[in-house]
Amino acid sequence: MNMKVDPRTAVMDMPRRDARDKVTGRTRFMVDMAGSDVLRAVVVRAGSGAAKVLRIDTSAAARMRGVRGIATAADAPQLHGVGVMDQPLFVRDRIRYPGEPICAIAADTLEQARAAAAVVVVETEEMPACLTMAEALAPGAPLLHPDWKSYECIVDGVARGGNIAWEGKVVRGDVDAAFARPDVSVVESCFRVGRQSHFPFEPRGAVASYEDGRFHVITSTQVPWTVRAVTARVMGVHASQVRVTVPPVGGAFGLKFDASIEPMAAILAKKTGRTVSLVNSREEETQTCLCRENADIWIRSAITPEGKIAGREAVVLMDAGAYGGEQIFLSTMTAHTLGAGYRLESVRMSSRVVYTNTPPNGAFRSCNGAYNSFALERHTDEICEKIGMDPMAFRKLNVLSDGDPGTTGQIFEGDVLGPMLDRMEALRERTGTREHRAGDRLYGLATTVGTWNIFVGPSSATINLNADGSVTLITASVEIGSGSITQGVPQIVAANLGIHPSKVIVKGADTDAAGYDMGTGGGRTVVSMGAAATAACEVVRDKLLDTASELLQTPPADLVLRNGRVEIRDRPGSGTTIETVIARAEQTKGPISGSGAFTAPQSAKAMPGCAAGHFFDAMDLPVFIVHEAEVAVDPDTGETEVLAYRVVQDVGRAINPRAVRGQIQGAVIQGIGYGIHEAVTIGADGGIEQTGFETYHMPLAQDAVKVEIDLYEGAPSCGPMGTKGIAEVAIMNGGATMACAIANATGKRVQQLPLTAPKVLALTCGIEPVLDHPHISRRWSDNILR
Amino acid sequence: MAVEFTLNGEWRDFAGDPRTPLLDVLRDGCRMTGTKSVCRAGFCGACTVMVGGEPVPSCQRPIGMLEGAEIVTIEGIAPPEELNPVQRAFLEHDVVQCGMCFPGMVITLTDFLRRNAAPTRSGIKEALSGNMCRCTGYERIIDAVMSIRETETPAAEAVSR
Ligand code: FES
Ligand code: FES
Repeated sequence: MNMKVDPRTAVMDMPRRDARDKVTGRTRFMVDMAGSDVLRAVVVRAGSGAAKVLRIDTSAAARMRGVRGIATAADAPQLHGVGVMDQPLFVRDRIRYPGEPICAIAADTLEQARAAAAVVVVETEEMPACLTMAEALAPGAPLLHPDWKSYECIVDGVARGGNIAWEGKVVRGDVDAAFARPDVSVVESCFRVGRQSHFPFEPRGAVASYEDGRFHVITSTQVPWTVRAVTARVMGVHASQVRVTVPPVGGAFGLKFDASIEPMAAILAKKTGRTVSLVNSREEETQTCLCRENADIWIRSAITPEGKIAGREAVVLMDAGAYGGEQIFLSTMTAHTLGAGYRLESVRMSSRVVYTNTPPNGAFRSCNGAYNSFALERHTDEICEKIGMDPMAFRKLNVLSDGDPGTTGQIFEGDVLGPMLDRMEALRERTGTREHRAGDRLYGLATTVGTWNIFVGPSSATINLNADGSVTLITASVEIGSGSITQGVPQIVAANLGIHPSKVIVKGADTDAAGYDMGTGGGRTVVSMGAAATAACEVVRDKLLDTASELLQTPPADLVLRNGRVEIRDRPGSGTTIETVIARAEQTKGPISGSGAFTAPQSAKAMPGCAAGHFFDAMDLPVFIVHEAEVAVDPDTGETEVLAYRVVQDVGRAINPRAVRGQIQGAVIQGIGYGIHEAVTIGADGGIEQTGFETYHMPLAQDAVKVEIDLYEGAPSCGPMGTKGIAEVAIMNGGATMACAIANATGKRVQQLPLTAPKVLALTCGIEPVLDHPHISRRWSDNILR
Repeated sequence: MAVEFTLNGEWRDFAGDPRTPLLDVLRDGCRMTGTKSVCRAGFCGACTVMVGGEPVPSCQRPIGMLEGAEIVTIEGIAPPEELNPVQRAFLEHDVVQCGMCFPGMVITLTDFLRRNAAPTRSGIKEALSGNMCRCTGYERIIDAVMSIRETETPAAEAVSR
């Protein structure tokens, strides 16, 4: 029975259930789980980049005091990857980046494991390296993966080859004709961004054991089911032999969306017969961080005299590092981020994932959206400057509205971005501006728009009703700090069952208990897991009402679940308690439980033939943001102070408005970090130069600003109760807004992120070289594989 | 020679390498994992504990130098089952996210409030210069602390048990 639940009953500022243990230090994270009975392991890593392996000898290490086992390439025969299976767990015949794992050693103590690591013999012969994408794409460049053709690829016929791990492209309409129009102004821009490092407080690691012929991996991950699959795959065992459980995760931000060192811990557990803890040191964590990738972007637009976009073309080069990883999947998002937001009469975009001899990159909150929005919004402001149009007026004229086609021809539903721009103006009106606080520094203000997709996709949930009137929610969702599974989903379950969310017990993620879930990330948990849980609620509600109907001699259709009771509709206080019904059902039909599932509704459709090499052609659930910042730039130091930051965010329906605001505040500060503070640099050997907190400027309390937030509700959503994911997209325009505001303040052409003080100083002094990407051909068709 | 010290009011001793950071003595030796090991370099503040009435990064204090010291960790900052005003404010304002930085935040801010009965936002931010948080964007932590000033009178008394 599909009964309508009033979504307003789900809305409340429910506090976090995990906060008390977190502020009293009682929460046990993965890193807190290694007691004296647990072996400690370390990864032996390659000291240099591109090299041929001549010999790896672990025999001396094996004889060292306290050593209990060594995991090597021989223990992990299969390659793994996202889209393309190109990555070994341990180095085989060649080293592709500094820090690549050679082997892992478990010993009684960490000191012993480290001592043994120091005597592993690795003989290598240096090979020519590609440290930048320009080098990797140059004619005759050395190939990182000479065997690329032999790699297993999840879809056939994708354009890839040489150092291009993957290529996605989209073509809609006649772009050449648009640029050939005599009346258009052509605006061309080049951009470059560096990497961003997640710096979760808890590094990646795992505690593994081998019990009753199966592996049990306790890990700090967002994707228990992926860890299960990858761990089994690399070892060549059946996935059912791996159980993954996840305690509270000490920060993730996308970094933990891939399996990393879990399989190593699993191998060591089996080899030693002991429980093994393997945790990255802060230095390893930083130097092998699966960063938000660095990228080079070229974009060109043909603008009509009325200020409309007749044609747009772009090339995005995404640095995968040594292995394809998440970038392969994310190449699809170029069309939906760089190609988003604005009405385009014609468009073509090439999105290329390039191998380099640097540490692999990965997923980071809003992923390539964070730099594609930077490129798009700076380009938009460059257009406005060229044609002499007010940036707000241009945006209002061109943002997508109801019925407009997106880049892949998908028809957008609802008029969202336009009204959100109006709301931003109203918000600014309310808060006032802070220009007066700039003093004699350069003042700048910018407003930007952004679009992201919620990665809905498969989730499943089970609900057990307990005799005391509580319910147990069993899922593979993980508490990563976002509150989605400890606040959002229980609130949805509670509203569906007419109980208080505190009565919903949330079982920690366990692949032996819960069904498949794609993972906690991409803003998908409240939507996908919320929908799966809603479906499970429908099953248990039917059973409850069935039994209640017998008890109360009333047809189920006349019964409602409310305030912990089964009541007769329109007669509050009537009926009986939910406990009574559950107890009765236990006697008559057996305990009540139910499961539900959800996946992408597949209702969004692209224009056939538009896109190639895409994991999906249309966005299932687009989500929009408008950001605005005021900055003061000190022309003598290049230092930027954020005077004010305003956000209007499309949230669908905020079921926990306070928690939503908390996520936005946190994400925006990370986004500002991306824009003006956080710099990852690559050294001469291809390695990441930063080693930890002392060399990476993540925002401090003094860098923070209180974000003024307006939650825009009511946009169309397939999410339960009209919800959308909120924590992912909230970071997206931090970089874009900083860049546009600093450009506005300095009057300079901002082409790169991050805009650290020395960079801004170079810009204001006019000594920052102009970027023009000679490695990207101005003839778009040269930038696609044939 | 064993080092003797008090930990949350109890006498303890440690007989290992005197260069061992207090952080590791707490986490590995005593299995008190509330104190977090994050940067191990004195930058993040997640490992902050009270030593002799001062908040210090425990990763930077070799145990050999702590003979006779009075050490209070997050486990001892309030009696079991109770919360101190800073902890309570964090709960009430729904400030916590991943939570890894919060033991250190609680220690630093509890001490700060003991010394500053009427703090300002910028004063609190300054006090947090050695405590980083990757998740929250800080401002709600400040809101929570400001609310203590507004509701608890006087803060100094309420905080120092
Ligand atoms: S772990 Fe001691 S300051 Fe970071
Ligand atoms: S809550 Fe995650 S680091 Fe502060």
